[in-house]
Amino acid sequence: MKEAQKIIDLNQADPQKFRSWNFLQDFCITCGLCASSCPASGIDGFDPRKVVRMVSLGLEQELVDSKFPWICTMCGKCEEVCPMQINIPDLVRSIRGLRDRDKVPGTLHKGLQAALKTGNNLGLPKDDFIFILEDVGEEIAEEPGFEGFKVPIDKKGANVLTTVHNKLVNTQNEDLKHWWKIFYAAGEDWTIPSDNWEGTNWGYFTGDDEAMKTMTGRILENMRRLEVKTLLWPE
Amino acid sequence: MAQFPKNVMVIGGGVAGLATALTLSDLGIRVDLVEKSDFLGGHAIRFACKATDECVKCGACMVEEKLGQAVADPSIRLLTGCRIENIERNGRFKADLTRRPAYIDADKCTACGLCYRDCPEGAVHRGYSASTRPFYAVDVAHCLQFKDQSCRRCIEVCPEDAISLSGEPQKLTCEADAVVVATGFDAFRPVSKPYGYGRFKNVVTSLEMEDILRENGAPVRPTDGEPARKMAFIQCVGSRDASLGHLWCSRICCGTSMRMARMLKHREPELEVTFFYIDIQTFGRDFDSVHRRIQEEMRLVRAIPGDIYENEDGGLKVVHQDVDSGESVKEDFDLVVLSVGLTPAEGTQEVAGLLQLRTADWENPFGEAVVPEGVFLAGAVAGPMGIADSVADAGRAALEVRGYLDGKPGGK
Repeated sequence: MKEAQKIIDLNQADPQKFRSWNFLQDFCITCGLCASSCPASGIDGFDPRKVVRMVSLGLEQELVDSKFPWICTMCGKCEEVCPMQINIPDLVRSIRGLRDRDKVPGTLHKGLQAALKTGNNLGLPKDDFIFILEDVGEEIAEEPGFEGFKVPIDKKGANVLTTVHNKLVNTQNEDLKHWWKIFYAAGEDWTIPSDNWEGTNWGYFTGDDEAMKTMTGRILENMRRLEVKTLLWPE
Repeated sequence: MAQFPKNVMVIGGGVAGLATALTLSDLGIRVDLVEKSDFLGGHAIRFACKATDECVKCGACMVEEKLGQAVADPSIRLLTGCRIENIERNGRFKADLTRRPAYIDADKCTACGLCYRDCPEGAVHRGYSASTRPFYAVDVAHCLQFKDQSCRRCIEVCPEDAISLSGEPQKLTCEADAVVVATGFDAFRPVSKPYGYGRFKNVVTSLEMEDILRENGAPVRPTDGEPARKMAFIQCVGSRDASLGHLWCSRICCGTSMRMARMLKHREPELEVTFFYIDIQTFGRDFDSVHRRIQEEMRLVRAIPGDIYENEDGGLKVVHQDVDSGESVKEDFDLVVLSVGLTPAEGTQEVAGLLQLRTADWENPFGEAVVPEGVFLAGAVAGPMGIADSVADAGRAALEVRGYLDGKPGGK
């Protein structure tokens, strides 16, 4: 049976359960604007309107077990259109946080574990990371107009520190070049840290506040260490 | 006992003001009915009859009837095109009014419509009722003659010599023993909603749909004048919406739109009608039966659409949740009616200031009106109200006025 059609035992309802969550969920008038607007509506029965109602009814176990919070991309369109201004993306994040960590969907869980241990979701060693950056940098330097281009790794006192999304040093190396060329053309004084460079924060996505703080703290630490005042965090 | 005849000033010439004036007249009281626009009847006169093979008690004909009676009643002085400059209170009320010149002479005008047809700026407006005299009026804000004296087209085409685009505003004084405020409501303008209103011509408000029906007798599309084959109604546009500061239910939209849809289906059984709604708010003891029949006759979708896109032919793609699959789908419609909510009228605040009156706060259930002695409220100025309720409320207000004039304590 599809999740959307499952009959929920309202004896489990506990409307007091999530009263302390201040996402305005109890103001929902079930108008369905969120569900009509959501790009993920209907995927495995996903329905943001139902998520909000489940929270309002305090159906904790149903929510924890449900796939719904993990289908949502937290893009925020629902919040934009909601006439009651319910903060649905943050509400979804809070539900994700209720799940035991080893039951968080595999990719996210393993990626976050790797990030906490090694500084990036891939577990990519520092030498390999530097090799990839320099290799891409050399390719740029071969292009007309970019003669002498070099990737400024760990440059102390630079104006801008930028993080790197792990996919850019994995399968999508080419996409590194766009930003870097713009920096070069603009004469920007920028740098990339060689440790803890990961831009994605799966602590944020999985509702794990502690992990989110750790990942964010590392970026701040890089800024302090390299004495950089501006952060470009293109996640 | 009061000394008759007494005089009462009624502010607002919509259905509540008209009904108050008529009841007061029946009670032997003279009335000055003050209206800021050029026409009487307010929003309600725009409503089309919703009868199927039987009367559905929509009240539209009541407005026409009241308007005709008021025009014919010698105890009611009809003051359209008026602005209230000041109201003094010294036992009685004394109001200074400025009345716009009548650019079209009501006695000469035969309502032939040539001025309306030929005005290059669309600055000639017309009324909604044959009882409105004159049937046409000039909107000076858009008239070229008033802008730079470059156009006399209407004067030239008028076969009756009824139009003159000159004249000075007239100063008038109303002395009254009591004042009734019947300033009604404003209809929500849904430009901030994601439905392309104002850009997509075939997205219209429920009030504009009334105009279309009165003019054509059928739901024709503004883009090509062809009758729609597949229509959608979107309910609660501008009502029950915290982001707009409109938490209230506007009360009349479910009934009005459902009666409209039933009337259209009755005339054209092939017409497909879809209702996008949250829940049906029913008021009045007859409404349950209407609602039951609606469920049999139409498609009801319990989700408010998220977006509308326009097709090349002026058709519309409505993005909404398909409630069976749960998916967000795009569905084509010829014509979309936004059932717009009611909001407090902008003009009410000005009148309230002159009378030291505080009207009810629609947003706040405890925000009751504070009304000074001798002042009375009638109709939707107090909160969302349909035609029948406005007429009933007007009757109540008129009787309270009579009690006050008779010197009963408080008059209420």
